[in-house]
Amino acid sequence: MVEKEPIKASEIDTKFKYEITKMHGGEKLMRCFQCGTCTSDCPVARFSETYRPRQIIRMTQLGLKERVLNSDTLWLCASCFTCTDRCPQGVEVASVIRVLRNLAAEKGIVPRVFKEQVSSVLDSGYAYKIPELRMKKRESLGLPPLPKGNPESICKTLRGLGFLKHLEKQGE
Amino acid sequence: MSEKQESKPQNGGEEIRIGVYVCHCGLNIAGSVDCDEVAKFAATLPNVVLAKDNRYTCSDQGQEIMKSDIREQKLNRVVVASCSPRLHESTFRKACEEAGLNKYLFEMANIREHCSWVHLHDREAATEKAKDLVKMAVAKVALLQPAEEVEVPINRKTLVIGGGVAGIQASLDLADTGYKVYLVEKEPSIGGMMARIDKTFPTMDCSICILAPKMSDVLHHPNIELLTNSEVVEVKGYVGNFQAKVLKKPRYVTKDCSACNDCTEVCPIIAPNEFDVGLDIRHAIYTPFAQAVPSTYTIDMNLCLNKDNVIVCDKCIKACERQAINFEMKPENVELEIGTIIVAIGADVFDPSVLPNYGYGRHTNVITSLEFERLINAGGPSGGHLIRPSDMQVPKRVAFVQCVGSRTDRNGRLYCSNVCCMNTIKDSLLIKEHWPETEIYVFYVDIRAHGKGFEDLYKRARKEGVKFIRGLPAKILEDKKTHNLWLIGENTLQKELYKMNVDMAVLSIGLEPRRNSEIVQRLLTLSRTQDGFFMEAHPKLRPVDAATGGMFFAGCAEAPKDIKDSVTQASAAAARAGILMAKGKVTVEAITPISYPEKCKACGLCTKVCPYNAITLDKELQQIKIVEAACGGCGTCAAECPFGALTQSHFTDEQILAQIDAVTEYDSEKKIVAFCCNWCAYAGADFAGVNRMQYPPNVRIIRTMCSGRVAPKFVERAFARGASVVLVAGCHPGDCHYINANNHTKDRVERLWKKMEQSGLDKERLQLLWASAAEGERFASKIREIQTIIKRVTPEEIHKAKRVFEKALEGV
Repeated sequence: MVEKEPIKASEIDTKFKYEITKMHGGEKLMRCFQCGTCTSDCPVARFSETYRPRQIIRMTQLGLKERVLNSDTLWLCASCFTCTDRCPQGVEVASVIRVLRNLAAEKGIVPRVFKEQVSSVLDSGYAYKIPELRMKKRESLGLPPLPKGNPESICKTLRGLGFLKHLEKQGE
Repeated sequence: MSEKQESKPQNGGEEIRIGVYVCHCGLNIAGSVDCDEVAKFAATLPNVVLAKDNRYTCSDQGQEIMKSDIREQKLNRVVVASCSPRLHESTFRKACEEAGLNKYLFEMANIREHCSWVHLHDREAATEKAKDLVKMAVAKVALLQPAEEVEVPINRKTLVIGGGVAGIQASLDLADTGYKVYLVEKEPSIGGMMARIDKTFPTMDCSICILAPKMSDVLHHPNIELLTNSEVVEVKGYVGNFQAKVLKKPRYVTKDCSACNDCTEVCPIIAPNEFDVGLDIRHAIYTPFAQAVPSTYTIDMNLCLNKDNVIVCDKCIKACERQAINFEMKPENVELEIGTIIVAIGADVFDPSVLPNYGYGRHTNVITSLEFERLINAGGPSGGHLIRPSDMQVPKRVAFVQCVGSRTDRNGRLYCSNVCCMNTIKDSLLIKEHWPETEIYVFYVDIRAHGKGFEDLYKRARKEGVKFIRGLPAKILEDKKTHNLWLIGENTLQKELYKMNVDMAVLSIGLEPRRNSEIVQRLLTLSRTQDGFFMEAHPKLRPVDAATGGMFFAGCAEAPKDIKDSVTQASAAAARAGILMAKGKVTVEAITPISYPEKCKACGLCTKVCPYNAITLDKELQQIKIVEAACGGCGTCAAECPFGALTQSHFTDEQILAQIDAVTEYDSEKKIVAFCCNWCAYAGADFAGVNRMQYPPNVRIIRTMCSGRVAPKFVERAFARGASVVLVAGCHPGDCHYINANNHTKDRVERLWKKMEQSGLDKERLQLLWASAAEGERFASKIREIQTIIKRVTPEEIHKAKRVFEKALEGV
C-alpha cells in the first residue's frame, strides 16, 4: 500500500497544487478543509476499504504528486458527482479526480483493465469482447445479430484527439 | 495650454509654498513604488519648495520633520503621499494645526491602498501612477483655502436599538454614566437570545439567572426609558442631533397588570410560543417567559378574537381582577431627540430545513441547538428533562452535528459562526451532568475552542466520555418504526466510514444577520460587509464605531459573538458614545457649500436636490439661504447649480478641475478618470488595496464626498482633455451616506449618456458603478472590465469627444 508509507519531504512537489488549480475543474482545490462529506456520500467508498476521495484531495493539496498519480484508487471514481454536489466548500471533487486521471494518463499510468478496454474498442468497436458462445446463444434464441462496430472511424477520432499517442506511449 | 500656468492660483498675491512628503510605509509602499523617484518628481512640480521621502511619515519623527519644515521653510500647503485619507488624514491635519497651519491646507495622495498594494508586480507602472497621484494632490492643494469648523452641540441622550444582552449592557453603562437612554425592543420583553439559553459557557452559569437582574435594573433605572413592542421607523439628522420616530405598538394590557396569569388560563386561543422556538404553546394573551421585563402581559392581535374594537370574547376582561385589559389602546408614535445611537439588533439563527440531507423538519428527532437549549432549560417546555420529540423518552445516544449552515458556500454562510463549537461542548456536558450514561457523539470538522477557559471545557467533555469524531455526516436517515436515526459519514482521522445509530441528533446551527438588517441599514445609512453583518469604521482600530458619525455597534449586529464578547463590545460602544456626549459638542467638517450671490438666479434647483433641506429659497429677496449646521456636506447642490453660483468648500470646482487636468496632462488616452465617493466607492477601492486585489494601473481616482458632487462639467472636462474612460462610482442606490444624493448622480450620468449618444460618441466610455465599502472585488473587476473599452477607443473617437466637449475647457 502506497498510502501507508510515511511521507518524505523529498517526495513533496510544492507546485503541484497550483498546477491543478490552473486546470479546468481543479480551481477550488485549495478550499477543501477535509470535512469528509465527499467520502461519506460516495457510493464507491461504501464498498471499498481504500477509496477515499477526501484523501485524494489531501494528497493533491500536499503535493504528493507521484503517490496520487500512481494510486490505484484514483481510477475507482464512478464520476457520479455526488461529492461535487455535496461539498460545503464547493470543491469539484470529481473534476479534480478527472484532472488527476488526465495527468496520470499523460504519463502513461493507466491500470491494465482500462488499457484492455481501449484495445477492445479499437479492435471491435466494443468496450467488452463478446465471447463466441454468447453469439451462438443469441442465434439459438432467435435474436438478431449484433450490429457491427466501426473500429476504423473510432480509431480516426481517437487519433485526432491525440488519445492514441498516450496509448502508444504506454506500449513502449 | 501648459499645466504650470494653469495651476498657478490667484491667491491674493500670497506665495504658495508646498511641501511634499512621500512615505515608504516600511515596504508597504516602497516595495512596489520607487519613493525616491516620486519625491524627486514632486520637487519639479509648480509651487513645490521641498519634497522628501521618509520611511514612516505618520510616526512621531515623521510628523516632527513635517512640523519643523512648516515652521522653518514657511510652508503654507502640505501634501503627504502615503495611505488612504480615510486612515490618516486626521493625523496629519492635526500635525499641521500643531505647526500653526490651518488643517484645511493639507491634502493626501493615496499611493498605498490605491497604488502600491494593487500593483504589487509592476513597479514601473506603480511608480508612474504614484507620480500622477502626487501631481493631482499638488494641483489641488495649491488651490485649497483655510477654513474654520462650525461647532454643533450634542444632545446628551442615546437611542439603543435592541434589548438583548448587548443592548441591556450598553444602556446600563450609559445610564450609570448619567446619560438618558431610550432602549427600543421590538419584542414584548427584553432579554433577547440570552434569555432563551439554559447555561453559558465556559463557566456553566445559569443564563437567565445572571441576565434577569440586569433586565430588572433596566426597568428600574431612572435614566432608562424602556420602549418594548416598539420599532424605530425613522431616523433623521446627524451626529449629536438625531431625530428618531419610534412606533410603539399597543399591548392592550395596562401597567396595572400584576402578571397573575388568570387571563391566560381562560384565553381560548393557542399558538406556538416563539420564545420556546415553537416547542410549547402560548395563548393570545401571554407573557413570553416567566422572567419577562416588563412583566406586563401582551395581547397578540393577530390571534385574539377581538379585532377593531369589536368585543367577541371577554373572558380575559372578566378574569382580570385589576381591570388591566384595555382593547382601546392605539399605536403611538414617539418622537425622540438623541445625540448618539447604539445598534444592538443581534442575529438570527440559520434555518436547517434548506438542507435536505439532514432531514430537519422531516425526521422528528432531528432538532436544532436552539431547540435543544429550550428542551434542557428548566423553564422550557419539558421542565428541563432531556426528552426526544418522537416519544418523549430520554434518548440514550445523542449526536451533535457541527457547522450546520456555517463555513459553506452552498446552503448557508461562508463564515465560522464563532459560538457553535463551545455551545455544543457545553450542551454535551449538560447531558452528562444529569444523565451520565448517555452516549454522546460530536461530529465536527474543526473544534474551535479559542477563548478563556474554553480549552478546559473541551478537555472536560472528552474526559467525561463525549466522543468527538472528525468528519461531518453526509446524511441522516430515519428508521420509520423507531424514529431512531442513522448518521452516515467518514471518520476522516481513521479513514473509516461510519454508520451511527442514535436516538436524537442536534444540528449545531450557525448565526445569520437579522433578516431585517437591510431595513435597519437604510434607516440609519450604515454599511454592511459581504457576510451581511454591519461594517465597522475600521476593523482593528475602531471596531465598535459605524462609519456614520454618532453610531456604534454592540453584540451580534456586527458579527457572531458569544455573551462575553457581546457584553465587552456593548460596554465599549457605551464608552465610545459617552466620549462624544461628554465633550458636549462636535465640529462639523468645513465642507459646506459656498455661494456666489451675484451669479445666483434664484432658480431653486439646489433647494430641490438638498437631502437635508439645508438650503432655502427666499423668493422675495431672490436669494438662497444655507443652514450650515444642517448641511451634511455631500456637495450635490454645487453639482446641480447651472450658473456656477454654488460650490463646495474644500471640493471646489477649481480644485477638482485642477485634479482632472493633472491626470490628463500626459497619456490621457490610456487613462481612466474615476470619481469615487468617500463612503462607498473610495472605501471599496481602499478595501481592494487592503486585500491586495490586483487591477490594471491606469485608473486615477479623484475623491469626492458623494458621487452627487460630480458635476457634468467634470466629466465633460475629462473627455475634453482626452481621457479614454470616465468612471463615476458611488454607493448603491438606497445606501447613500447622504440619504439620497446619489439618485442625482444617476440622473446626471444618464443625461450625459444621452448627450454622448446624440453626438455619435461611444457612451460606454462613461461608466457608472455602484460599489459598497466592502465590494473591493467589484471595483477591481470593473477596472479590469474597462480595459476592453479602452482598447477599442480609437484616436479619432478621442478627438471627436474633445471637439464635442471643447466648451468645458473654458475657464470656470
